[in-house]
Parts: sequence; C-alpha cells; structure tokens
Amino acid sequence: MRLAIALATLVAAGPALAAQTGGLKGTGAYGTAGCGLGSLAFGNQPGGVQILAATTNGLFGSQTFGITTGTSNCGAGMMAMGTKNFVEANREVLAKDISRGQGEAIGALTVINSCGDSSKVGAALQKNFSAIFPTENATSDEVTAAILKTLHSDAALGCGRS
Amino acid sequence: MRPSLVALLVSLAAADPAAAAAQAPDPSHLDELVHRARTLRLWEDPGWLRLGHWRRNAKGGWKSEVDGTEFFRALFGKTDPRAELEATLRGFFDARPVADELSDAQCRFPARFAFLAGRLGIDLARLPPRRCPRFEAFLERVRPRSVTFVFSSYYLNNPASAFGHTFLRLNKEDRARDGKAYELLDYGVDYAATVDTPNAVLYALKGLLGFFQGHFSNYAYYYKVRQYADAESRDLWEYDLALEPGEVAMLTAHLWELGGTFFWYWYLDENCSYHILGALEAAAPRLTLLDHVGKVVVLPSDTVKAVFANPGLVRGIHYRPSIRTQFLARAEKLSSNDLAAVERLARDPSASLPTTLSKDARAAALDAALDQLDLRHMRELVVGTAPEAARARQVLLERRSALAVVSPPLEVPPPADRAPERGHGSLRLGAGAGASSRDGALAVLDLRLALHDLGDPPDGYPPLAQIEFLPTRLRLAPRDGRAELDESWLVRVLSLNDLSRFDLRPSWRVKLGAATVRDAGCERCLAGQAELGAGFTFAEVLGVADLYAGVDAAVEWSPRLAGISGSEVRAGAGPGGLLRIRLGKRAAVLGDARWRLLPGASPRETYDLRGLVRFNAVRGFSIGLEVRRTPTADEGTGLLLGYF
Repeated sequence: MRLAIALATLVAAGPALAAQTGGLKGTGAYGTAGCGLGSLAFGNQPGGVQILAATTNGLFGSQTFGITTGTSNCGAGMMAMGTKNFVEANREVLAKDISRGQGEAIGALTVINSCGDSSKVGAALQKNFSAIFPTENATSDEVTAAILKTLHSDAALGCGRS
Repeated sequence: MRPSLVALLVSLAAADPAAAAAQAPDPSHLDELVHRARTLRLWEDPGWLRLGHWRRNAKGGWKSEVDGTEFFRALFGKTDPRAELEATLRGFFDARPVADELSDAQCRFPARFAFLAGRLGIDLARLPPRRCPRFEAFLERVRPRSVTFVFSSYYLNNPASAFGHTFLRLNKEDRARDGKAYELLDYGVDYAATVDTPNAVLYALKGLLGFFQGHFSNYAYYYKVRQYADAESRDLWEYDLALEPGEVAMLTAHLWELGGTFFWYWYLDENCSYHILGALEAAAPRLTLLDHVGKVVVLPSDTVKAVFANPGLVRGIHYRPSIRTQFLARAEKLSSNDLAAVERLARDPSASLPTTLSKDARAAALDAALDQLDLRHMRELVVGTAPEAARARQVLLERRSALAVVSPPLEVPPPADRAPERGHGSLRLGAGAGASSRDGALAVLDLRLALHDLGDPPDGYPPLAQIEFLPTRLRLAPRDGRAELDESWLVRVLSLNDLSRFDLRPSWRVKLGAATVRDAGCERCLAGQAELGAGFTFAEVLGVADLYAGVDAAVEWSPRLAGISGSEVRAGAGPGGLLRIRLGKRAAVLGDARWRLLPGASPRETYDLRGLVRFNAVRGFSIGLEVRRTPTADEGTGLLLGYF
C-alpha cells in the first residue's frame, strides 16, 4: 500500500523546520520543486506560439503541465537541476535580487540548495554578481554553475547540508 | 461525517504490503460493500455527488460536468451516480494487471477511494494490493500541507484575463512564512482552456460556445508569479484557506482525479474559477461555494466572494504586489531629487548619480530604476527581443551590486480598498424613468452581465478601468408606444493610464456591439458598431478628477443607414474626452463627449454628449441621474441600479 503510505505521509508528516535567525533556513526538501519546468526555454518558441500565447493567456500560457503526466524523474539528489530550473524561469528577478543582496528569489535558492541563512547567501551572491551575470547574454547553464560555485565555495553558507 | 481521514490513511500505511500481497482479494467483501452502499443509498450523498461533479439537470436526473470518458468506470457513469459508485467499488477489486496505472481504479480515483473507504469501512486486507508510482510521485512533488486560493487581478490587455483569474496553491507549509521563499517553490494548480487556435475570432467563439477542452494543470508557483506579477503587472491576492488536513489530502487526491480528464471549457460560466470552486467543494463537502456564484456568468471575483461567504474559511490574506505596484511603492519613498536621478537612469543607465546622495539613496534610486525598466520591458526581456533594454538592465544591475549594500525588503501593505472581495456585485440591473425632447416620457431598463464602470462604487476594482460585458439598455416611449434597444455592447472596455514622468503609455477604449443611431443618418435605426479610441489621461488631478482626451475611430453598419456614397456603412473619426470627478467613495460625476466627422456619409458629422451623477446610497444600490444631448434629442433619466 505504497499509495496509502504516501497519502499518510502527506497528511501526517512533513518536514520539520529548524528555528531560524534572520534569514530562511533551508531543508533541502524543495530540491525537486522545479521539475517539469526545465523544458521552458522562453526565448526559443516559434513565433506562432508567441502570437498564440499573446492572444490567450499571456506570455507563458501556452505550456501546460499535466497533473497525471507530470515529470517525476527528478528525485532527491537533484539539487543542481532544481537550481537550474529555477534560474531558467526566474532569471530576471533573480538577477535583480542578487544585485540587491536580498529578495524572495534568494530565499528560494537558499531553500533549494539547503543553505543556512538567506541573508548570508544574499550577501555572497551580491558580492559575486559580475561572476554570475558577466553579461546579459550569459546562458542559464553558466549562471547556474556560477551560483552553485558561489554557494558551495563558502562553507559558512552551509549549503547542501540538510 | 467522514471519520478522520488522517487516521484512516495512517492505518492504511500500517498495513504490511507483503502480507497484503500474500492474501488473495476477497470478492465476498465486494458484495458486502455494495450491499452497504445500497443500504445507505450512498450515491445520493453530497460527498459522492461532488466527487463526480454530478448536478441536477432540468429533467430531474443527474449529469456530471466532467466530459472526459476516462473519468467514469460505468458506461453511463456521467448520468448515473449509482452505477458509477458500484463500478468504482468493483474496480477496486479488479486485480488484473494494467498497462497504465490510470486504468486502475485505486490509482485513478484516490479521493473516491478515501471517501468510500471511510463511509463503507473497506477492509484493506481484503483488497488486491496496488502500486501507484505516478500518483506517489505527484504527491511527493506537491507535498501539500495547506491550501491557498489565489486571485490574479484584472488584466485589460488580454481579453481572456480581463476579468481576472483564480487558481489554487498547494503549500508545503501549514502557514505562509515570512520571506515567502517557500511559496515560490510550492505548486499552483489551475484550470484553463487548452487553446488550439491562434485566431482571435475563433478563440472568442470557441471559448464562448464551449469548444475548448479545459484541463487542470500544475505549475511551480514561481512560474505564476513571474507571469502575472512581473510580465503582466497584475497584483495577486492570496487567501489561505482553513481546511482540515484530511480536506487538504482529499483536495490533492481529487485534483489528481481531475488532472486526468477534461471538461468542455465555457468562457462564461464553466470556466477557470467555476471548476476551482467545484474541486474545493468536492474535497470539503461542508463548504457551500458554487451556490454563491451566478448562474449565467461566473467571474473570478465572484468566486472570491463565494469563498468569503463561508465564515472562517479564509484564515489569512496576503498580497503580492505586481512589478508596477512595486515600482510605485519605491518611487513613493524617494525625494524629488532622487526621482530626478531615477529619471536620468531611465534615459541613460550610466548616468552619474549626485555625489551628495548617500550610498543607500543611490541604491534606492538604482532599485527603482530597475523596477521601472522591468515594468516597461519585462515581456521583451523574457523572450529576448529587447537587446538594448537588456544591455541597460545589465549596466544598472552591475552598478547596483557594486554598491554592496543590501536593500531593505520592500513592504507593500495590502491596499484594502482594492481587495476583490470588497467589490460590488458583478451583475447590474437598473430601472428608471426620464424624458426626451423628442419622445416625451421614457421608461428605461438597464442590464449588465458584468462588471464595472467608472461610475460604479470603486472598492475592489482597478481605479482607472472600465470592463463591461453585455451592458444593455432598453428604452420605452409610451406616447408613441415605442420600445427600442438603445444600446447593447458585447464588450465595452476603457483602460486609463495615468500619465507620469515614468509612464507615458497611452490610454485606450474599445467597444463592440450595437446602438440606435441618434442623428439624421437614419430614422433611429439600430446599427452594429465597433469603436476604438486612444488618448492620454491625467489621473487624480487635484486629488479628485480624472481627465482623458483622445481620438476615436468608429465603423457603423445598418441596412437603413445613409453611409459612405450610398452604402450601408459609415466610418467616423474625431476627438473624444472624458472627465470623472470622485466625490468620496460614494459619489461620482462623469462627463463624456464625442464628436465625429463622417466622411462621405450623410450627415457629415455627429456628436454625443453625456453626463451622469451616481450616488451609492446603500451597499448594493446606487441612484443615477443621466443627461444626454445628441443631434436628434435632449434626454434626462433617473435610474435605480442594483448590484448582485
């Protein structure tokens, strides 16, 4: 009765969150949140899709993610994939938050990568802004790699330990 | 009442899968369960009926709103809740191997399973064991602990979203947290039409007539935030729902059931908002939601009110400001000196900032300049069609990060008077009497299916927008025994944009429908009309007045119209202006003037001058006085308007 176990876990258990001071404490529990979004390459849709999207429900509206067909192949240990998906979909706001050293996107990165404190993460990313976003044309892969490098090169950030 | 679902599921979990597998399914248990269901007449239980989305039809029978055949185990399950219940039970005992777990009743219908197990006391040891890896993966991905109902505010630039949108967020936390970082990684679930045509006319027709399939989909919430708040500049209102853990689990399980099927999508009633409420009702039968929305048109804002009609259901309200609101909040905190710096940065991202500014002030100016750039260019930035804006943005970002100071979090308190639950009812009915210089006494009937005009009570709506669907006015002149359709518009939209140093976008208005011609072009013929106008607006002049001036172009057609060189069509263009003066929240004065040149037609020109005063006497009712001058008559009318 794995189904029942899953349902029971869902309602009865759940990640306990450590007390926090200042920033957000990540748990690693959200590492797979971005799954299914990796296919969203905003820039390379054919023109027709963009026109369609513009006449219907906006820029992003044409892709759907089926509930019963949703991807399920990114399990635990896919933190880098979670970061990459997040970077792809949130690139603009992430760049802004990093330049400001603070913001919701930094909080989300903190959680995805199970870092210790989002305010420290924000300061570290801000310091490395020009390495992370060297030009406006940096690819999402490059941005992701630079973010992960920043997060993991400073042990004080406590990333990757849940 | 359902026994604790949590307890049930925990006991399910405790069952040893190995032991269960060793045990053969027990068909006699199926007979017991069917017998129990018949004794209880369980197929008449509201909980069961809601899980199948069955509604009474005109003939007194049942019909499910779900249109996908895979949602039913029984051949005539769509119209027979009893057959469907028994077929579902039989399905739970069907131990034959299936190629796809969705073909198995246990995996396909976890919410039905939980409901029937709770009501009938299914002995799990006597069921064939099933593994449902995809459903388990879905739960693992979503992991819901609480549910938030989200309203994305009005977006006039897109017909599909003009009335707003509602969807659900399944939260991994019991309560929203400071910093909101977890919310971004939660899952949003919405119901939307799967659009299969790029043609706007086909789109409108298919949407109105139910030719699109509607599907439930899930998204990471950040995806929704980027779309609505950043790219479309729509504020999001988030309502945390007080659901029991068992109800949250049922909702999730039921969304899985709905996710594998479809409804025909009806833009007007069975739309995004309607089925979100239906899913909530199925998960928590104690709630009454769909009874609180209109029968003809269901608007997203109506569904917000339906949620509030269940006392205690909303346990928290959060507001997520759009990029526009964020920029305005940042600009508000800046001195005129700082604002001048922001303006310079908008023109030249490398512009030097006054050395007199502190480091924090420079950071604040750059922060505002970045938001302003995003406000103007986010959509092009995302699709990569604005290289110059991207370059300017990069310069600003580099300058901002080099300051190495952390911006304080931007706090934007929820604007209570914009909260959608505070808005007047979307359906407006009115009746009144008046007089015309040509027809004598008049009786007037006014009907509008939705939603809001500039004279209606302002709470809950965007302050500078008018969005109307089927505003219709009938006019009766007893002296001549004459009844006529004065006007009826499929849509009438006005989107005013306050002109400021940071925002030079024009205002626009559009209407499409029919109106009786009030000039010598014909003898009061009803003419089909389309009108488009654009201009500029100064809002809140002296704190009370909104002023629009622009140019309109219109096409009119009627077989009786003296049109261009003898045709039945005439085209016109000319200036138009609008003035609104708000007298507190309860009263407004409006003036609307249009003059048109009608080249090639007879007469050569026409005009339409209107003025009105509205007073919101008590909640839900307004009194209106209207005057109008056209080439054929002067009119005055008094109206009582009710909002429902």
